[in-house]
Amino acid sequence: MNFLFSAEEEKLRSTVRQFLAEHFTEEVRAENTAGKRGEGWGPAIRAFFDTVNEKRWFAWSWPTEFGGGGGDRTAQFVIEEEFYRSTGITLGGGTGAPAILSFGTAAQKKEFVPGAIKREIIFCQGYSEPGCGTDLAGIRCRAKRVGDKYIITGQKIYTTNAQNSTHIFLMCRTDPDSVRHRGLSILLVPMDVPGLTVRPLWTVQNDPPAPFGTTYGEERTNEVFFDDVEVPASCLLGEEGGGWEVARRGLNLDRVGAWRYLISVMRDEDIVNWLHGDGELQDSLRDDAQVRDKVAEMWTEAEVCRLMTMRSISIEQHGGKFTYEGSAEKVFAPEHSVRTTEAISQILGPYAQLMQGSPAAIEKGVFAHNILGAYQSTINHGSVQVMRDQVARIGLGLPRAAK
Amino acid sequence: MDILLDDQEVQIKEAASEFLAGECTSALVRKIETDPLQYSPLLWEKFAENGWLQLCLSDKNGGQELPLTYLALLFELAGYHIAPIPLHSTMVPALIIDRHGNAEQQALLQRVLSGDLILSHAVAEQNGRWAIDSIKLEGRVEGNELVLNGMKSFVGSFRASNQCLVIYRDAAAPNHLGVALVPTDASGLSSDALVSMAKDGEANVHFKQVRVPLGARIGKPEAGNSIALEVMDLSSVLYASMMAGAGLRTLDMAVAHAKQREAFGQPIGAFQAIQHLCANMVNAIDGTTMLSREALWRMDQKLPHRVNVAQAKSFGNEQCMMVVRSAQQIHGGMGFIRDFDLNLWYRRVASWSLRGGTAAEHRRTIAAALLDQPGKVRIGNIPTA
Repeated sequence: MNFLFSAEEEKLRSTVRQFLAEHFTEEVRAENTAGKRGEGWGPAIRAFFDTVNEKRWFAWSWPTEFGGGGGDRTAQFVIEEEFYRSTGITLGGGTGAPAILSFGTAAQKKEFVPGAIKREIIFCQGYSEPGCGTDLAGIRCRAKRVGDKYIITGQKIYTTNAQNSTHIFLMCRTDPDSVRHRGLSILLVPMDVPGLTVRPLWTVQNDPPAPFGTTYGEERTNEVFFDDVEVPASCLLGEEGGGWEVARRGLNLDRVGAWRYLISVMRDEDIVNWLHGDGELQDSLRDDAQVRDKVAEMWTEAEVCRLMTMRSISIEQHGGKFTYEGSAEKVFAPEHSVRTTEAISQILGPYAQLMQGSPAAIEKGVFAHNILGAYQSTINHGSVQVMRDQVARIGLGLPRAAK
Repeated sequence: MDILLDDQEVQIKEAASEFLAGECTSALVRKIETDPLQYSPLLWEKFAENGWLQLCLSDKNGGQELPLTYLALLFELAGYHIAPIPLHSTMVPALIIDRHGNAEQQALLQRVLSGDLILSHAVAEQNGRWAIDSIKLEGRVEGNELVLNGMKSFVGSFRASNQCLVIYRDAAAPNHLGVALVPTDASGLSSDALVSMAKDGEANVHFKQVRVPLGARIGKPEAGNSIALEVMDLSSVLYASMMAGAGLRTLDMAVAHAKQREAFGQPIGAFQAIQHLCANMVNAIDGTTMLSREALWRMDQKLPHRVNVAQAKSFGNEQCMMVVRSAQQIHGGMGFIRDFDLNLWYRRVASWSLRGGTAAEHRRTIAAALLDQPGKVRIGNIPTA
């Protein structure tokens, strides 16, 4: 057991932190925000990405032959943590690339992975549909094999970042007679193909927009429609009918790591740091025994979130597989995020309702916007109810309910 | 950073687990609960013979000098098997003597390691608080003797022990605490056995003009306060390790029961209501386990650790109580029948959660570290208490 990062990793951490302090200027930040909104990527943010890419920080633990750094997983975690804290940018080549590294053909790895690391290729996730969310076995979006092509019809929903993506990591049913998770496949579909339409779904964070660092502060997600979309059969990732396995690994990776952990604990830091201030409100709250007790309780839970993440990273560093740990973390951290968000609001009272731009808003309204966002993390990437099912069934061997 | 067990940790954990599983039956636990000694001398002797007391003491005192994380594993198992031995009461003072004791005191450790000498430690007093400020027992130097007057409460395994580590307040310098090793048969010492839920031999101890030589003091007088905190930290965190282990055992029992007990035409373990209780139990146990392991690891590395200890014990108190209560819920009526074993663990976790500091007491330490000193906080960069 060793609970500290090595001296080398801490040195890397301060190098990254210093780099970001120098290079992630207000101009770069503004261009990044505009880019994420779909207004195009300006020259400053592009130059920033190029520099980061030269350092191989986007994918530190990935194979060098595809543009990764060939480093270890723990160091990558350190880089990811510093990036997310300072910039809100998530690393690791984004969604899709890890699964391509595991299941892709040599040609697919060459085609997608270096581009994903350089952010020239961006995947959105095509899992949820109007009729199914966490239970992906209910997928109806259909891809029919015709010669060397697939013809796709159906709809996806909650496709976050589809407006900025070059490709969709699409889970669809390739065997029309199949039920549940058999007969599902993953297709890597370019977003610019004819018949594919993206329509925005504006979230509760849309008006006013959430401040930087809000847990699930995204203004929009999307619906994606497929009307007889034709793609070459070479878009298939893994085997036809093997989509469940391909997706499962990627989803597990989405449920743990620096980003997941930080969105769950940043408010704990925020409230303590805010309480350090010298306003009249801070002074009275800081001395209130109940506030102190609650803050300490929430801080402790946040530390448990940190330890669960360290456990996941340790497992990955060893090349191991999760049994229940990823799912368990995906219960505890999001629910902590909700508990602390709501506890903080009770500490701040009426100030906690004030949103970004309001007079008298505390910390640009981040605590109010978190009330609109924290609970989303108990839903997205697999609801905490289904995560509990997995802990119970996979971790403890409890039986499935009778039909 | 790698918080999984390494090969040697796994090996030692498995060996200790095998030993305790073989020796520590619920029949033995039940027998000891009604035995006036309130521990099993035979099990204690075997435990010592197998070297389990040596793990983390220094080489010069006959120990194996392993990191304190090995104690986390050992105490988790002691909780899992609710071993009726004075392990907690003995190990805390043994570690303190190993670090701070004089030559004569350290010579006693050989007898501790052979199982021949049992130790206890006395911190809390009549008001029951787990706080330095509540320590009033007076220690006065008279000639070449230390004279102790006052009382200690909730002293674990006191009547089984031969020597008791006592924290007192220096009559000549009331801001200073002192630590002394007092023979339990000293003149002027008396005790009342308490009947706690754990039924493991806690006692109240009265000191009336108890005289010990000045050489009974542990550490330099100016180090008294910091040694007292060390005693308290070790005592608290090792209770957290035991609660995590005991909680895990009740989860195992609950899962086994839920797989075979049928209701409404299927095993109750197939119901999500039961599954979700069990999933919550997993996180509560894992959280307590990781917090307490980290606290002991930091102690071993001589890093600030008071906040980590406070986190482990406050989280463990509430969460492990939830675990054993959930195990009761899953067992239904049989859980509260005396002859069914679950209550052995339930009662111990309930008692342990109330010793070595309550959740509110430990959160005071955490809150002070977070709120009463300047500087930005960051999760993982734990402020010092």
